[in-house]
Amino acid sequence: MDFILPLYKNGLISPEANLFFAVVMGFAFGFVLERTGFTRSQYIADTFYFKNLAVPKIMGVTVITATTWFILFASMGWIDLGALFTPKTYVWPYLVGGLLFGLGMVMAGYCPGTAVAGLGTGKSDALVFILGLFGGAFLYFLLYPMIADFASSTDLGVLKLHDLFGGNEYTSYILTVIVESAIIGFLMILQKLTNKGEKA
Amino acid sequence: MEKQYWNPYFGGVVLGTMLFLVFAIASQGFGASGTFSRATAQLLVDSDKSWLHNAYIASYFRHGGSALNNWTVIETVGILLGGFASALLAGRFMFRPDKARRYPVAKRFLWAFVGGMIIEFSTRLTRGCTSGQGLDGMATFSVGTWIFMFAVFAAALIFSPLFRKQWVDDDIEEGGA
Repeated sequence: MDFILPLYKNGLISPEANLFFAVVMGFAFGFVLERTGFTRSQYIADTFYFKNLAVPKIMGVTVITATTWFILFASMGWIDLGALFTPKTYVWPYLVGGLLFGLGMVMAGYCPGTAVAGLGTGKSDALVFILGLFGGAFLYFLLYPMIADFASSTDLGVLKLHDLFGGNEYTSYILTVIVESAIIGFLMILQKLTNKGEKA
Repeated sequence: MEKQYWNPYFGGVVLGTMLFLVFAIASQGFGASGTFSRATAQLLVDSDKSWLHNAYIASYFRHGGSALNNWTVIETVGILLGGFASALLAGRFMFRPDKARRYPVAKRFLWAFVGGMIIEFSTRLTRGCTSGQGLDGMATFSVGTWIFMFAVFAAALIFSPLFRKQWVDDDIEEGGA
């Protein structure tokens, strides 16, 4: 079957057009991050004190929406889901890296994307955070000879949910929708329990 | 007067549709952390060619050109411009740090810097941040991304009491607002 999408992998747009598209989509991404409050570190950090669940709500609905489009287009034979860039799975590096990332996130209130958009809105703490990003990359380069083996350990390659639980992409889609909805629901219950007496 | 932020569910539908579009066209999703790793590598190599002996840095120069000749780097410039345009239009552009009202700015900057270092370091292990690994990987059903996301939220919750003063306005006046 001849797929049309994704356009770039199928050679339907030039590398130059794809780079132009990068600026356009980046602009839209930054715009929406600002519109949704993601450019404020305090707003993001509110998540971890159950003051405001906008961050997990937006992330969950984003994933549900994107995967719904994917499954719809795939069922029509319009998109080759196998051609979409999918991160590989490295179990221990992701676990350790994720824990470090979480510590950094509650400490700094930003992640790299939201800080870039935040800098665009004039946040001085986002600027300082971005200087820290350069420092972190530098530190990684220095330590790389020592941690290279760990960084590429437990490499499971591209591993999708349905490779683990059986079935096909539809199985993964249904699992994704269930888990994202459950997380949002669970956090809303926790928020009710932890904010007794406080206004939401 | 500032405009209100978008309803999170509406924001999610817009962002999810954009995530679909970016994959459908560029064949890859959003990202950001790679930009700073590449920029750092480029700065180091510009200052001293011997940095190319570092295997990680060398991987950015394999194709011969600049480390910054990359889709995600270009996209990151767009993110900056988009954030600026939206803030300007919403009347929210302001040069200030974000924090709880009484928290000292110097400490806020210290945590922003140290947190930034920890985050960029960790994204080298996790091959991306909450965009390039988190959103993109969840949207493409990657198992590893779920390991990453649960680890991120677990650690953020575990360490959250240490940083409460930085973020939460525990004032009495808050109740009367």
